[in-house]
Amino acid sequence: MAIIEVENLVKTYKILQKQDGLIGYFKNLVRPKYKELTAVKGINFNIEEGELVGYIGENGAGKSTTIKMLTGLLTPTSGKIVVNGIVPYEKRIENNKSIGAVFGQKTQLWWDLPVIESFRLIKQMYKLPDGEYRKNLKKFTQILELEELLDKQVKNLSLGQKMRCEIAATFLHNPKIVYLDEPTIGLDVFVKENIRKFIKDINREKKTTVILTTHDLKDIEDVCNRIILLDQGEIIYDGDKQKFKDIYGKYVFAELVVSNKNGKLSDTITLNGCEIVEETEKSIKIKFNHEETTIMQILNTISNHCVVEDIHMREAELEDILKEIYKGAHKC
Amino acid sequence: MLRTIFALAKMHLNEHNIYKSNFYLFSFNRLIEVVVYIFVWQAIYYQTGDAGGFTLSQMITYYILVVSINPIVLWGINEDMGHSIRTGRINKELLNPISYFKYYFGMNLGEIAFAVIVGIAVFVVCAIFWGVTLPVSFLNFIIFLVLILLGIPITFFLQMIAGTVGFYSGSIWGIQILRKAVISIFAGVIAPITLFPAWFQALSNYLPFQELIYTPINIWIGEFDMSQIVFVLIKQVIWIVILYIIAKKFFEHAVKKITINGG
Ligand SMILES: Nc1ncnc2c1ncn2[C@@H]1O[C@H](COP(=O)(O)OP(=O)(O)O)[C@@H](O)[C@H]1O
Ligand SMILES: [Mg+2]
Repeated sequence: MAIIEVENLVKTYKILQKQDGLIGYFKNLVRPKYKELTAVKGINFNIEEGELVGYIGENGAGKSTTIKMLTGLLTPTSGKIVVNGIVPYEKRIENNKSIGAVFGQKTQLWWDLPVIESFRLIKQMYKLPDGEYRKNLKKFTQILELEELLDKQVKNLSLGQKMRCEIAATFLHNPKIVYLDEPTIGLDVFVKENIRKFIKDINREKKTTVILTTHDLKDIEDVCNRIILLDQGEIIYDGDKQKFKDIYGKYVFAELVVSNKNGKLSDTITLNGCEIVEETEKSIKIKFNHEETTIMQILNTISNHCVVEDIHMREAELEDILKEIYKGAHKC
Repeated sequence: MLRTIFALAKMHLNEHNIYKSNFYLFSFNRLIEVVVYIFVWQAIYYQTGDAGGFTLSQMITYYILVVSINPIVLWGINEDMGHSIRTGRINKELLNPISYFKYYFGMNLGEIAFAVIVGIAVFVVCAIFWGVTLPVSFLNFIIFLVLILLGIPITFFLQMIAGTVGFYSGSIWGIQILRKAVISIFAGVIAPITLFPAWFQALSNYLPFQELIYTPINIWIGEFDMSQIVFVLIKQVIWIVILYIIAKKFFEHAVKKITINGG
């Protein structure tokens, strides 16, 4: 049985419409006007134990709203959620015992106290056995490089240090499911890599189910094996990450360094299966589809109009694919 | 569960202890307050030959005790709760494996522990400076302590109610001042209750506030009619139940508001 089951999940926010002026103020008191906004529009998915799911979508797509419903912080307008056999918004505290969550940069650590004291409180609150606590602490300290941080007051930590501690705190009680809503926002690449490694390690060892939302698709690329793509409250892709790239990522990017160019090439030539993305005096950026054309064909055409001095090519990454999807180039 | 609550209390106490200066600063403030009250009542006594029906030395003891007990009654987790709501930290606290109420009750105990330490320090310093009358009997002292203990849940639930207002208004600043003012007046901080009009005293008899400070002190100095003690104890227990229910229902309503409309 799936550890998370979501069926026809809908969340509609009611937003109070502010009415102007004094009369508007009293109108608001007597008969408030609401506007409705449906942030999540009847989504369905099942997640199995041990999956690493990337929950992605543009700003405002409804990712945080979904995560809040899964944790029981928000009550759905309609639909069904069962997490680990529990309906989270009905039995929040019961559900809390087997989950962990990170929301952006908000921390659960005690600001004025050394990090280790917050860890000890977590151990106490979740009734974690001594041995288990020590084992986790040792392991986490090593992977996330917390050695120097544990005795420092939280308020004296940098953002990257704080988030590493926060991640450790979230996994400390061996949660079955962890929700990470933008855990890497604002962090430098080294900290990000550190956190990704940690998530993968723990998942491998403990089969922790992780649902991750992020703006940095490298996080997804590196950590997740499944993608759920949300667009304006609806799921437009749900499945294997590699398959997603195979279906939508058949194109290649190339940057050509050129000289002796006459005018704008995009005005003078047409290329089959290839698009000129950006063009300057010295360089041309193109994007082309594997199956429709080859780099040799393109160079043949272009070299009639200028001298090609160098080429850099790269495969489409998740980010490129998503940009395409948002632009409406693909229909999922 | 008890151990978790004590762990929380210890954490919150440690938070205060991080700033060693807190202790001296708070204690010093209390001392200034005692001095002001004592000067005022000395002036009244020398002008009128009367200190609200008390002897001057009783009045001095009264105010030394008021200022020593005051923090236990007035301090608490209100500001922490306001901060939790304002910054959205509440979302994380609602995901704890224990209820928000127990979590904050634990923290509140830590705050009270700090208040007791400050209170005892202030009491000792004042006792050395001005001299205090000791409790009239050991039994009186025990009842004094029992009433102070019964006050702890009462003041805690009042704070949870005031803090919950923050869910609706976004700020707890105003309600905080109101809470402190009401307690200060009805608990006999501003002046002993006997100096207020008869209707006020009658009302005050049914409210739980005068037992937070005024009644325990009167028991200490032997000015309390012991035939009333059973009434007072039952009254406090009933108020604990009433305030618990109000605080709980109000809080649940507020949480429902967040879980429906979003934080
Ligand atoms: N508490 C709220 N009240 C009203 N509207 C909200 C609230 N929270 C989110 N929304 C709206 O719901 C939509 C989805 O938001 P969110 O779930 O935060 O998206 P994401 O996390 O994908 O960026 C947005 O249009 C947002 O403005
Ligand atoms: Mg979000």
